[in-house]
Amino acid sequence: MDELIIETSDLTKIYGNQIAVNKVSLHVKKGRIYGLLGRNGAGKTTIMKMILGLTPVTSGKIRVFGQTLRGNEKRIYPRIGAIIEKPGFYPNLTGTENLEIFARLRGTSRPDAVKKALEVVGLPYRDKKLYSQYSMGMKQRLGIACAILHDPELLILDEPTNGLDPIGIAEVRNFVRSLCEERGKTVLISSHILSEISMLADDIGIINSGVLLVESSMEELRKKNRRFIQLTVSDTAKAALLLERKFHIMDYSIMDDHTLRIYDTSVNTAEINRVLVLEDVSVTSSELCNDTLEDYFRKVTGGESIA
Amino acid sequence: MIPSKIISERSREGRALPELVRIEFVKLRHRKYVWLMLPSALIMPAIAACFFKASGMPDATPMRFYKMAAFSYTIWLVLPAVLGMLCTMLMYEERCDDTLKQLWIVPVSKTALFFSKLTVVIVYSVCFMFTAAAGSFLAGILTGITASGYDSVRFLFLKCLQCGILIPFAMMPVLAVAASQKGYVLPVCITVVYAFTGFIMLMVNVYVFPLSSAIAVLIKDIEGVVMDGPVDTGMAFLSIAIWGTVSAVFGVYVLGRECR
Repeated sequence: MDELIIETSDLTKIYGNQIAVNKVSLHVKKGRIYGLLGRNGAGKTTIMKMILGLTPVTSGKIRVFGQTLRGNEKRIYPRIGAIIEKPGFYPNLTGTENLEIFARLRGTSRPDAVKKALEVVGLPYRDKKLYSQYSMGMKQRLGIACAILHDPELLILDEPTNGLDPIGIAEVRNFVRSLCEERGKTVLISSHILSEISMLADDIGIINSGVLLVESSMEELRKKNRRFIQLTVSDTAKAALLLERKFHIMDYSIMDDHTLRIYDTSVNTAEINRVLVLEDVSVTSSELCNDTLEDYFRKVTGGESIA
Repeated sequence: MIPSKIISERSREGRALPELVRIEFVKLRHRKYVWLMLPSALIMPAIAACFFKASGMPDATPMRFYKMAAFSYTIWLVLPAVLGMLCTMLMYEERCDDTLKQLWIVPVSKTALFFSKLTVVIVYSVCFMFTAAAGSFLAGILTGITASGYDSVRFLFLKCLQCGILIPFAMMPVLAVAASQKGYVLPVCITVVYAFTGFIMLMVNVYVFPLSSAIAVLIKDIEGVVMDGPVDTGMAFLSIAIWGTVSAVFGVYVLGRECR
């Protein structure tokens, strides 16, 4: 079984009469990128805040690195780098000065930690520009630099590409991916942009109105959402045998007793239908389906769409 | 990317408060308004010099001059008002710029953060009072009201040091209120009310209010000061301690509530 870096069970947050997060059970595996996808106000930031102990939990449990945060803050926090909502820095200091402050507070012993972190996000070291003069994209980059400054094992990034231009978004995506693949970091990232999550995440959690609707690996989800030919037949077992023997089709899945999906859409459907009928397998329907991740999102959220 | 593990937990724990204080000063370095408030320490020395010069007081003594220049309205109103503004600025910048969240996940102790702000207020207050002392001394010399007598000058600077240290403790309630607020309007209003209340309570009951308790202790041995009765130093310090403790507990509590 995969080691879980973050595990929540029945995590609930209630503000007054409003349920912001409702019995969410997340499972973030070590060395993987977990994308929390949901519309604005779905509860992503609240979940992240609760994981980081920035807001109290109404009910439910959170374990980070196998431990509860309360009472273990000094052991757990140094292993986490995070950006929640917007990066918080002192506006009258430069980016370097801001990072130096956090490096000192964290007891970062490497003298070049700040320089390296700035290099990683493409910001100049010892620049005279004050943080208040930074563009939104630069602020976001500095936030990421601060999050990675102390070489954490876990990164919690709340909409880290907010305010970045397309090139910046791609850079952050590549950088997060390389952190995960080359350095074995675990990343929990949230976004309301479906394409961003689909390009980056290994695992995905879809949240809507505080409820975690789906938790799945992207691989599984892609499989669910690929283009496919759906056949409704009288006997799927026999049909599958025929597909393998006669057409050498191996990339298919049996959904139930009467439904079968062929993921190679280049096959000759008419020929398949003909052969199946000849072999006494009646074909009720044969259609090309094209479920996208967005369709899937729409389906699981009950019709709401996402960017 | 930073390749090695770079956390030194033990060193971080021991250095939390001094490090936070150092950081506060790094931040202040760029805050020109904070330093622009310092010359307000020279208001009363200038007024006192003009007053003494204009009235041509024949019985003017250095202590009488210093009383007006450094120990009257400077510690009754000007210093509390300036320190209240500073408390507001220190707390407001953390909230306004959303840095508290970033600090909590370092993690930084809320108590250490509150006391680092108090330390800055104390240091600033001492600087302010030394400016007032230097201003009073120079104003006295330049206008020929006072001679550079060692005893009076020593008293002036020592008393200013005492004021600089004690009054910030009496200002802890304002710091706590500033910690609880996201804006600066209420803390600024409270500062004004607080300073005037401290001044008024000097004439009513000094032990009820920490600022009046601090001022009473500080001015009771200044030549020419007439109090309604003897000042009970123990009671005054008890009042400051009680208000200070309650303020610290409240301040730390509301800081912890920041993101909720």
